[in-house]
Amino acid sequence: MTKTKKLLDFQFPARADQLCQVRQRLREAMGACSKSEQLVNCVLLAVGEACMNIIQHAYGKDEQGDIILEVEKHGSNVVVFRLTDFAHHKTRAQDMQSRPLDEIRPGGLGCHIINEVMDEVQLIECDSDCGNVLQMKKRLRKARH
Amino acid sequence: MQTNITSTASYDLLTLSGEVDLHYSPTLRENILGSLKAGKPLLVDLAQVSYIDSSGIASLVEGFQTAKSAKLGYGLLNVSSPAMQVLTLTRLDKIFALYTSTDQFETALQA
Repeated sequence: MTKTKKLLDFQFPARADQLCQVRQRLREAMGACSKSEQLVNCVLLAVGEACMNIIQHAYGKDEQGDIILEVEKHGSNVVVFRLTDFAHHKTRAQDMQSRPLDEIRPGGLGCHIINEVMDEVQLIECDSDCGNVLQMKKRLRKARH
Repeated sequence: MQTNITSTASYDLLTLSGEVDLHYSPTLRENILGSLKAGKPLLVDLAQVSYIDSSGIASLVEGFQTAKSAKLGYGLLNVSSPAMQVLTLTRLDKIFALYTSTDQFETALQA
């Protein structure tokens, strides 16, 4: 059975001014997993993009609430990031798809970044009327073929 | 994020430092569009940017489009490694004009 270690469980208000602190906490947590500055920067970016999506699209302008960021290390090679929100807006899987990059326009790059950086991105079904759970997995080392 | 704008005879230089995220990207957008509105080419120095997310990149793209419509020179100077990582991920490194010196940008303006 794979050993799971909780690295972070952090609840914060879904606001843009919180993102700096989220990155700080996440960087500390990732310090236990990887010494690769490039990998850690990519993870910070992707999780930041996912938080931004929740702030801008799940809660939007009319709703306020919290986000919970959980980080777990599964075994020696997989880190799982889980973002839970409590918004009334239900995010659909198609909302998480990348847009074509040959359209040069501002915005819409967040999902592309998440999908590029993470090895798995999945919206988890939740029973309650409110909220979304986004789970992302990152392998620290790629399998050798 | 900190910003500083200096003007030369032929262009404005916007220097950014620190982390550019959703909290600061509206300020970046205002700085970029405000500068271009004055009708001068703009060079954005990203050497001291330690983090930039897609909202910051969106402000840079909006500047690119505004400059293009107004036929003004626009480019990025000394893109830091974290910023280049994001430009590469979004394939915008092939779209923006990237410079490693202000002289290069001035030469491009004269071409």
